[in-house]
Parts: sequence; structure tokens; C-alpha cells
Amino acid sequence: MNKEELLKHVRSLAAQHLITRDEVTAAFDAGTSGGSDDQEVTHQTGISHILYYVGGAVVFLGIAVLIWQHWSALGSATKILSTLGSGIAAYVAATFLIRSERLETASRAFYFISALVMPLGLHVTFDVAGLDTGSHGVQSLVSGILLMTFLLSYFVYRKTVFTIFNVIFGTWLFFSFTDLLVGSNPNFNWEFSAYRVLCTGLVYALLGHYFTQTSQRALTGALYGFGVFLFLGAALALGDWKPNQNGFWELVFPGLVFGVMFLSVYLKSKAFLTFGSIYLMVYILKITAEYFADSLGWPLALVLTGLGLIAIGYLHLNLKKKYLS
Amino acid sequence: MKPQKNISLIIGLAIPFLMIVLVAASIYLPGLFAPQPTVNFLYVTDDNYYQGHAYVVEQGKLTKREVKYPEHFTPGVTRFFVHDVSANDSKEVSFGEAQQLHLDANVKSSDGYEVVYGSAEYGFFPLLFSGDRDHNSMYLKGHSASKKLKLQTLNDGRYYYSRDRARFLGWIR
Repeated sequence: MNKEELLKHVRSLAAQHLITRDEVTAAFDAGTSGGSDDQEVTHQTGISHILYYVGGAVVFLGIAVLIWQHWSALGSATKILSTLGSGIAAYVAATFLIRSERLETASRAFYFISALVMPLGLHVTFDVAGLDTGSHGVQSLVSGILLMTFLLSYFVYRKTVFTIFNVIFGTWLFFSFTDLLVGSNPNFNWEFSAYRVLCTGLVYALLGHYFTQTSQRALTGALYGFGVFLFLGAALALGDWKPNQNGFWELVFPGLVFGVMFLSVYLKSKAFLTFGSIYLMVYILKITAEYFADSLGWPLALVLTGLGLIAIGYLHLNLKKKYLS
Repeated sequence: MKPQKNISLIIGLAIPFLMIVLVAASIYLPGLFAPQPTVNFLYVTDDNYYQGHAYVVEQGKLTKREVKYPEHFTPGVTRFFVHDVSANDSKEVSFGEAQQLHLDANVKSSDGYEVVYGSAEYGFFPLLFSGDRDHNSMYLKGHSASKKLKLQTLNDGRYYYSRDRARFLGWIR
């Protein structure tokens, strides 16, 4: 983030009354008094944050392995208690921890544990109830319950951690519910999945753009990255391969890639530029192999592809230097 | 919330809802406008040995061919069913009764429908199949609509795909 962006962000937060004059001056004063100490503290805080999440993931693994190893020996109540019970317990613990400002980071780790363990717990519970947990109906139910839980939590606490879970569970619900609608209907083939991925990528990028105007700006980079990766990946897949190629998507794809690369300048997003460049390279390789390998001969096609890749590399570096650094 | 400021959020949340509505409409709407199927059909279950079939339709009649099975192999009990497309229900008939029927072995019926196998389900991640048990169900498809068929398919665990459990033989004239 450069200075202009930072000041713009401060102005935006001040307009929303999310930051006070004292907080801004206090942060400025702290920066001018002891910079190196602060950097050290930030570094240590970063490591402790990572350790919180690694710890959370290990707890989840422990519970999952416990259930897996003793599946036949455990009774139904024990199975539910050790999975769904643990997930709910972690959620309740996090809700208590979040009230103390000092323990807020630890609360995020507990929310992380609950977000990992609760899906496992719901699957175990539905399995014990005799439902087919692999069915789209149960998948929709599990993801719907989780989305509602964390959506309500977001409206109560307004924390970024809930937004991450909501994006994940929302995506899960979208895929499982559309699967439930479609089933094995012969009018829907693999392209339907590709269109769903395309939409998901577009939604992620739009959400990323929305978050630039809010205090959840930290999510923008990741959402832009995943969004453009999924969007362009699906668009490329929809082009398919000769003789089953889809002319529309093969023709539209370069336009989409250049659109993404030039949007990277407007949005100041390195993810847009990087993935745009990578997908343009993949597209050139694909089109060359698909159409020109036979007519031009493989060696000449390789030469032209190589030159194309060099041109993209040059464009990528130029745009990055000029607009994004 | 100012609409202009939140336009990306509004569009972002609207896209999945819109897609769900479009998918539901594309599944259910054509069924409302498509003409009702009228031509019943004959199908057979458990007539499959390494893609070889004992029962085929020749010159509009059901006939039996000789299939050489290995000594140790015991073929399953083949059954024939007439499917009433308007009631979506099947009735078992004997081989003799099935032989009396005048059959049209064309893929498409005279009223524009065909019996097709359902597409593979791709699940949450496009490369993974879902856990649904009715993998590759059978459908009556035509006039942009499709209807899931309730067939008497054999499901004793020997065949995973429905195409190995039940096979369309011909439209009944």
C-alpha cells in the first residue's frame, strides 16, 4: 500500500467514524518514537498468529484421527459429543474470549477450530441419524447450517474471521445446492461445473473490490487472487480442445485476459496482473498446440510460442514497474 | 448503505442467486411447455456380459441371440419391463409377451423423446464425483425437457452404472 492509498483509506475510515483523530496521531507518534522495536513486535505477533492457526488445525486433526481410529468402538453419543460437541465448545470458548481485547487473537484461533470441527461434527451427526452424508441434500444442509451460524456471528461481532468462513461456506452451499437441483440431469454436463466456477471467481473478485472500501481490506488480495484464478481457469476450460472446441470461449478468452491485465492497473492488483500473464501464456501454448502444431510444424510453433511468452513477460514487467510498484 | 458504493457487493451476491434461479428455471420450465410423452417402451435388466447382449430388436421384434458364457459363469435372471411413460411406472412382462410387441428400435420415439443415461455428477469439486447412489440414472429427454425415469433397475451391487443394470430395447408401436 502506498502513501496515497493509505491516506485515502484513513479518509474513508474517518468518514465512516471508524477511526478517531487521536488514534491516527497516536499511531504516527508511535512510529516516529521507536520503529525497529515495533517491527520486531509485529514480526513476533505474525508468528504467534500463525502458531494460533497451526494449533487450531492440529486440534482438528487430533479429533478427526480419534474418530477415524475408534469409529466402530465409539457409541453414537460419544461420536457426536467428541465432534459436534467439541466444535460447539470451541465456538462458545471463542465467544467468551472475544470479549477481552487482549485475547481477541486467541478467540480467532478458537473460531478457526470450531469452523473446522463443526462440519465434521455435523457429518457425524447426520451419519448417526442414518442419512447419506455424501448426498447433495445433506451437503446443502451442512453448509447451510454453517453459513447461517457464521453469518449471524458476523452480524453480532463484525470480525473479518467470520467473513472468511462465510465466503468458504457460502461457496460450498452454492455448489451443493446447485448439485441438488441438477442431480444427474442429462442436460447438464461438465460445462455446468465450469460455469459455476466462472461465477464463483467473478463473485470473489467483486467481493474483493467491495472490501477495499471497508475495514476488511486485508481480504482483498486473497479474494482477487482466487477470483481471477478461478474465473480465467474456467473460461479457458470452457474453450475445450479440438475437435470439441467452443469457438465463443476460445475467441473471447484473449479479451478477458487483456481486460484482467488492464484492470490490474485500475485496481492496483498484482494478482490480476500475475494471473492474467500466466493465463495468457497458457492460452498461447494451448492455441499453438491445438491449431498450429500440424500446419506450421512443431519446431516453428515452439519458436513463435517462445516469442509470445517473451512479449508477455515484457508486458508484465512493464506494467508492474510503471503502475504497481 | 449507498447503492453506488456497494454496487460490487450487490452484484457479487446477486450472481449466485441469479444462477440458482436460472438453473431451476432451465430444469422445470421446459417440462411445463413440452408435450406429454405418449409412446411406451420396452427395456431389459441383467442382460449384460462384457458388453455383449443376448436380447436385441431385429425387424421390429425381440429376438434372442446365443451368447457363449465361460463354464464357471452363471448369467443373472433377465427380466423384461414395459414402461408406461405417462404414469412413469413399469410392468414386468415375460419373454413370450415381449416377443409379441411391435418394436421401433430407433433412438428417438415418434413423439420426439429418447431414453438417455444421466450425466455424471461432478459434485463440489469438478473433478470429484458425488456420493449420490443413483449414479447415472435414466431419463426421458426431448423438447428441451427431461424427466427422471422410475425403472425397475437391478441394484444388487454387481453393477455400478445403471447402463449395465437396465437397457432400452425399443418403442412400442
